[in-house]
Amino acid sequence: MAVSWLSRLAAQSSVPVFPVRGIQGEAALHRLTLTPGVELVDSPRHASILLVAGGVPPDQHDALRRVHDQLPNPFATLWYRSEPLAELASATRVDDPDALPGTLMTAHQELMRGKRGSSPRLLPDEPPNPWEGLGDDGHGGEGMMGGVPYGRPMAMNMHDDIRDGLTLDSLTVTLGPFLPMLPPGLGAKVTLQGDLVQSWITQHAPYPIALESVFLEAREHPVPIAELELARARYHLQRLAFALRLAGLERLALESLRLAQGLSPDSRLEGLRRRLTRCGFFRLTTTGRGWLDETLARRVGGVAARAAGLEEDLRSQDAAYGRLKFTPVVQSDGDTNARWCQTLAEIEQSLQLARQAEREGLYSETTEAIETPRGPWGEQRPGDASGVIDDLLPGLEWDEAMTTLASLDLAAVSEWPQDVTQELGEAPGDGADAAEERRA
Amino acid sequence: MIVNELILPVILVTIVLVVGAYLVAVIDGMIAAALGTPQRGGAWLAPLTQGAWLLTQQANATEAPDWRAWRLAPALYLALAATGLAVVPFSPTLIPTDLVTSVVLWGSVEALATVVIFLHGWSANTLLALIGAYRYVALGLSYILISMFVLIGVALPAESLQFSQVVASQEGLWNVIRQPLGLPLFLIVGLGMTFWGPFNLADSRDLAGGTASTVSGPSRLVWELARAAMLVAFSGVAASAFLGGWLGPWLPGPLWVMLKMLGVLAVLLLLGRLLPRVQPERCVTLMWVVLLPLSFVDLIWAGVEALL
Repeated sequence: MAVSWLSRLAAQSSVPVFPVRGIQGEAALHRLTLTPGVELVDSPRHASILLVAGGVPPDQHDALRRVHDQLPNPFATLWYRSEPLAELASATRVDDPDALPGTLMTAHQELMRGKRGSSPRLLPDEPPNPWEGLGDDGHGGEGMMGGVPYGRPMAMNMHDDIRDGLTLDSLTVTLGPFLPMLPPGLGAKVTLQGDLVQSWITQHAPYPIALESVFLEAREHPVPIAELELARARYHLQRLAFALRLAGLERLALESLRLAQGLSPDSRLEGLRRRLTRCGFFRLTTTGRGWLDETLARRVGGVAARAAGLEEDLRSQDAAYGRLKFTPVVQSDGDTNARWCQTLAEIEQSLQLARQAEREGLYSETTEAIETPRGPWGEQRPGDASGVIDDLLPGLEWDEAMTTLASLDLAAVSEWPQDVTQELGEAPGDGADAAEERRA
Repeated sequence: MIVNELILPVILVTIVLVVGAYLVAVIDGMIAAALGTPQRGGAWLAPLTQGAWLLTQQANATEAPDWRAWRLAPALYLALAATGLAVVPFSPTLIPTDLVTSVVLWGSVEALATVVIFLHGWSANTLLALIGAYRYVALGLSYILISMFVLIGVALPAESLQFSQVVASQEGLWNVIRQPLGLPLFLIVGLGMTFWGPFNLADSRDLAGGTASTVSGPSRLVWELARAAMLVAFSGVAASAFLGGWLGPWLPGPLWVMLKMLGVLAVLLLLGRLLPRVQPERCVTLMWVVLLPLSFVDLIWAGVEALL
């Protein structure tokens, strides 16, 4: 009796969801962030639903199984525009973004009321590192070295400290591809000393990001500049929201997402910018780390390049933008702080261009070279630039490394557009699914 | 004898802690809703449903944790909160434990909190929790000194290390006015000690929850409860040391203490929602280079004022 009373109460809680961010899953997660009754959590241990949003490449299915098994009982899985793992044949699959919140809440309530069983464990519950009784001293290694007793490599001071001379044991771990602080899909082998990143080797590039379809159309025929610029501002606002949430500024992250959701040429950024400055985001959180020199900045392109002082923007080559008297905004410092100042300035510029272009009914003219929010798309689409962080992150503390990563836009641009149907609220289109299947 | 010195104090402390921790969750939910977090259901019910969900969730295991330390750490943190609250006087006569050295006892609670929080992160045997633990130790060392200087400041005019004497010494003028630097500095200590908001370095988002990132079910419930309880205990100490404790017109003393505690809690929770997390290096610099010298100034101010 008491238990059923407890479960009834538990069924009314907001739904804690751990999102696995797959290929093309971001848009749905942005909507979920603004949905009352759903809470996106950062750790699988804090969730009752595992939501796989978007496709996961087959070679990362093992990593997905490991995340799956980390959820404590009782839990359920939900697959949004993603093929469930073969072992979970009866798993719920949702393709309609409008049905997602409802399905999540129903699944949670059914779990709590005992109407739905917990998802089965996929991997054997045994230590991944056999060590006990192996080797010279039973620690799994040779002599006194090596082995992974209790799941951790032997504490060895193989590296000099690169911070302050306080040598802590270095710890080598594999991060990603579903760690919520990293770009979706990014996997790395990282050596840490305390909270100091000592080496960073990127092993998996982040998943390609899908731009709104207007950017792909602009490569084929002239499109309204107002539409193009609003899509650009939306893209930057969503990236800003991620960084703000990471910095513990939940309310400003939500404000940024709401602004992106209802963006029109008449939207204003001043309020958000003022609150950001007042709360000390630029002074307390994004301090002058993650500096890119010109070569690295050019490799990343887009906002990062202009934040480092490179006046490179393909919009300058478009005669229509010329009529709007467009000149690229630039910063000089090239660090995390400069990149966010640049992002805010570009959002403001885009809104202003959109207002002007809408009044004059201007269309883009050049289709050979367009500036995407991720960077220049001349002969080639902006490619993966995650290689730059291998040199950039060592020497930074964990917090600085994560703040730097959030300020960099590194993923390649996908050849498929973001699903447009969900903006219109129609039935799920076949664009994204077809793209996923072809990729698989 | 036993009723007065053991049973009543335990009941009083337990009730204040449990009700206080619940109110912390409610006020925090209300502040979040006012600041635009989408919410379903009321702020009054949300902590209860969340707690019920955690009670039905399985307590997970990690690979080879230090089980005893891992399970004990949340309970120890809760016990520290209870110890801290036990020295807060609710009226000249209603004091759970009226030690002559209660200010020193509170200092030891602050110091031991560092140990317990480190234990919580370290014993899980996972990376993100360990980083949270390391960070907390760096932060803990920085704020304890500030706290000590500020508390010596309030002990000077009282000529006593007993919180009831500290409150009595504010009969004419509350310490919040007499020593204007004291309360702001002490509030920063409070945010550090409960790793809340701008000083949440141990359980932050960039660590997916830090020391609590791999805890689920009832142990997580105890940990979150303990954090809220520590905030309550801290607000009790702040109300006694700076806001004149039970002193106030018309209302009975204990009610004044509760109101002042709620006020301190509301300020702390609001700060927690409004400010970004301070970068660890910047945080340590801020503590040692700016706030510690300010706490010296506060102490000198208090000393000169006591001599005059």
